Amino acid sequence: MADRRRPVFPPGAQALVPVLLLVLGLVFVPRLAPPVRAASAPTLKARVQPPDRVRLTFDAPVTDLAPGNFRVAEASAPDAPLTVSAVEPAAHGVTLVLASPLRRTARYDVRVADPPLRTVAAPALWMILVSVFLSSALIQNFVFTRYLGLCIFFGVSKKVGTSVGMGITFTAVMIATAAFAWVMDTWVLRPMHLGFLQVLVFIGAVACVVQFLDTMLRKTHPVLHKSFGVYLVLITTNCIILAVPLLNAQGQVSFAEAMALALGSGSGFALALFLMSCARERLELARVPQAFQGLPIAFALAGLFALAFMGFSGLDFFR
Amino acid sequence: MSAAPTLPVEQPPGAWALLVNGIVHENPVFRLALSLCPAVAVTTTVANGIILGIAVLAVQVLSSVTVTLARNAIHPRVRIPVYTIIIAVWVSAIDMALAAFAPALYAQVGLYVKLIVAFAIIISRLEVFASRQPLVPTFFDGLGMGLGFLVALVLIGAVRELLGAGALLGFTVLPVRPLLFFALPAGGFFTIALLMAFFQYLERRGGGKPRAASAGGGHHG
Amino acid sequence: MSELVHIDGVPRERPSPAEVARIAFNLTVVCLLGGVVLGGVYVGTERIEAAGRLAGERRALGELLSLREGEPLLVVEQSLDAAHDAVVYRASTWGDEHGAAREQAFTLDGTPRSSAPGEVRTLTPLGRMFVAGTPAAPRGFVLEGESRGYKNRIRFFVALDAQFTVCGVRVLEHEEDPGLGAEVATRAFLGQYLGRDSASIARLDVTRDPLPEDWRAALAALANTEPGPWQQAHAALLARESAQPVHAVTGATISSRALTSGVKRTIEHFRRRWALVRPWLEGTS
Repeated sequence: MADRRRPVFPPGAQALVPVLLLVLGLVFVPRLAPPVRAASAPTLKARVQPPDRVRLTFDAPVTDLAPGNFRVAEASAPDAPLTVSAVEPAAHGVTLVLASPLRRTARYDVRVADPPLRTVAAPALWMILVSVFLSSALIQNFVFTRYLGLCIFFGVSKKVGTSVGMGITFTAVMIATAAFAWVMDTWVLRPMHLGFLQVLVFIGAVACVVQFLDTMLRKTHPVLHKSFGVYLVLITTNCIILAVPLLNAQGQVSFAEAMALALGSGSGFALALFLMSCARERLELARVPQAFQGLPIAFALAGLFALAFMGFSGLDFFR
Repeated sequence: MSAAPTLPVEQPPGAWALLVNGIVHENPVFRLALSLCPAVAVTTTVANGIILGIAVLAVQVLSSVTVTLARNAIHPRVRIPVYTIIIAVWVSAIDMALAAFAPALYAQVGLYVKLIVAFAIIISRLEVFASRQPLVPTFFDGLGMGLGFLVALVLIGAVRELLGAGALLGFTVLPVRPLLFFALPAGGFFTIALLMAFFQYLERRGGGKPRAASAGGGHHG
Repeated sequence: MSELVHIDGVPRERPSPAEVARIAFNLTVVCLLGGVVLGGVYVGTERIEAAGRLAGERRALGELLSLREGEPLLVVEQSLDAAHDAVVYRASTWGDEHGAAREQAFTLDGTPRSSAPGEVRTLTPLGRMFVAGTPAAPRGFVLEGESRGYKNRIRFFVALDAQFTVCGVRVLEHEEDPGLGAEVATRAFLGQYLGRDSASIARLDVTRDPLPEDWRAALAALANTEPGPWQQAHAALLARESAQPVHAVTGATISSRALTSGVKRTIEHFRRRWALVRPWLEGTS
């Protein structure tokens, strides 16, 4: 029957895949950028400069530089303005000095009374993404602090080669699944109040992505498929893949943040696998008490890694 | 997988044997080393262990029964997707029921209840047992596996709550907190390591052959 | 690991159309049945969950404000309008969802604004405040607030007496680590907020210094006593400590800071908003 096996797609169809991805990208990327205001109106930009300064740049003639002309409040409570204690002129704008310290990660509602201008001082997108990535990879490492994916973790961390392959496959599947699940959750489940179908839809998303990748790899890169295909089938029954969409849905995050979480979690998992497999290869040579041989000593080892990872817990670049 | 359950297909064992098998000989956590994530994650207290254990027990029994009743209607080609859907449905149902009837406890284990859907133990019982056996043995097999899981979680939870918080089921039993470490993330790993080693030790003393744990275990999930 | 490798990976024959139809039918039936079961469970449990949540909130409110059975409680929901130009207040009596609710919007600088009837609005909730007694002579307040903790948001109630002195804090939801961040939800930690007046709240900060021994012993006793008698028994200690910052839980400075700054912010916003809505509530009730 082997000769009857023809590719599912016509040969040219494979070229459509990158095109499809490109179209998806073009649909999503504009959604990442903040909405652009009418071009002709005078613009105001604000950036928080910790500890207590806000840098304003504007192209409108702001003549009144009294503190009363400016209003800064936390975006979550815009009716409670913070006290602006001084206004310092600067190039193309002013610097506001506030009486209380500001947080770099918070959003602030900034307004000028005359001429009427307003904006939101938000942390830059890259900052959010970097902090989501680091937090999910190190501070809240999936294996060592959230305890997810343990079965696979103990199963495949015996050899360094296998663990690297597994880590790469996992990260790829995670990103694809998180994207798919984000679209389903944001555009279908939440608007239609079908939250109770979450688990069903997400596990379906995982299965679809795994199946799709499996077919794709087999048709296009048989060599890659040979080395990574075996991990693909293990993925559907792994909680770590399912946890990423669930966490994203719980936090109702933006698409970019969802991707950063998926990438961070995947990298964190790959890192954990790599570290563990290195340690376990050494363990082969060690003399382990009989009762501890096998899984018990591996668990103790993971416990030591988890202790070490607790050291990341204060890590925060942008707070 | 070295620990692949090897129950005879033709003659299903009795109910009691199936229960004991699930709780002792093929304990999902300590012996098969399956579905470990929640075993470390939620077992900081006995109460958490109980609620997750009950959720797994319910999902296991309900999906096993569903599969065994519908086993002739399920097309073998789409067996695994159908099993997954069945599990997902029961998990969602249990999830909603827990959120409604035990909101305080559910708040602490919510994410892990949803993740039951990816537990290898459940789907592997469906595949090796429920799809081939009649209703009654399947029910007891599911019950045994679920109870095995529950017992394991309660045991781990008891050790961690006693050592970490000096309490059991929320009641203070020790005047001090002996080792806060056991309530922390890393402590969960050590608790399981010690318990597994203890069982392995008992087994060696008893002259039994070492099983899954020493071989590195079976591992999905 | 053999038994799960059936999903795919082996070249198979292409199924006949009839078989494809059977498979499709099989999957469709399973999905439909699953959807029906889930829908049924959802409808069945949703009401119980909502009722349970309400009962839990009511219990917490009753304890924080020492409400008598059946004593009326005014609920003011605060939300931000779509343009972020005004805060809309909606006042109703607790438990009387369909009763007369009154609504008033105030612009950000506090001038009342009438809202056009039938206007489609997307409001961002800013939490609720609960008032025991009447707006003219309030007996106490409970404010709902939230803050971003170490793992996820921490949602809490702060209770104030008529002089805006804290008489209770309760954490409703959190996902902090047991043994570390979760300690901020214990009565011993929350006792540190008790008896702080507006001046103390305005200076509220967190320190990593260890608790003084007598204060630690007093807070530990709080686990078994009610806040009211406890406050009377430790009046001198409270007077001394309310000038001090909150002592962070060891190993959980982030959670302690998150909760403390949340409490501080919630109270400060409340004082501002209460000054605004009080005349309106008095005028309409």
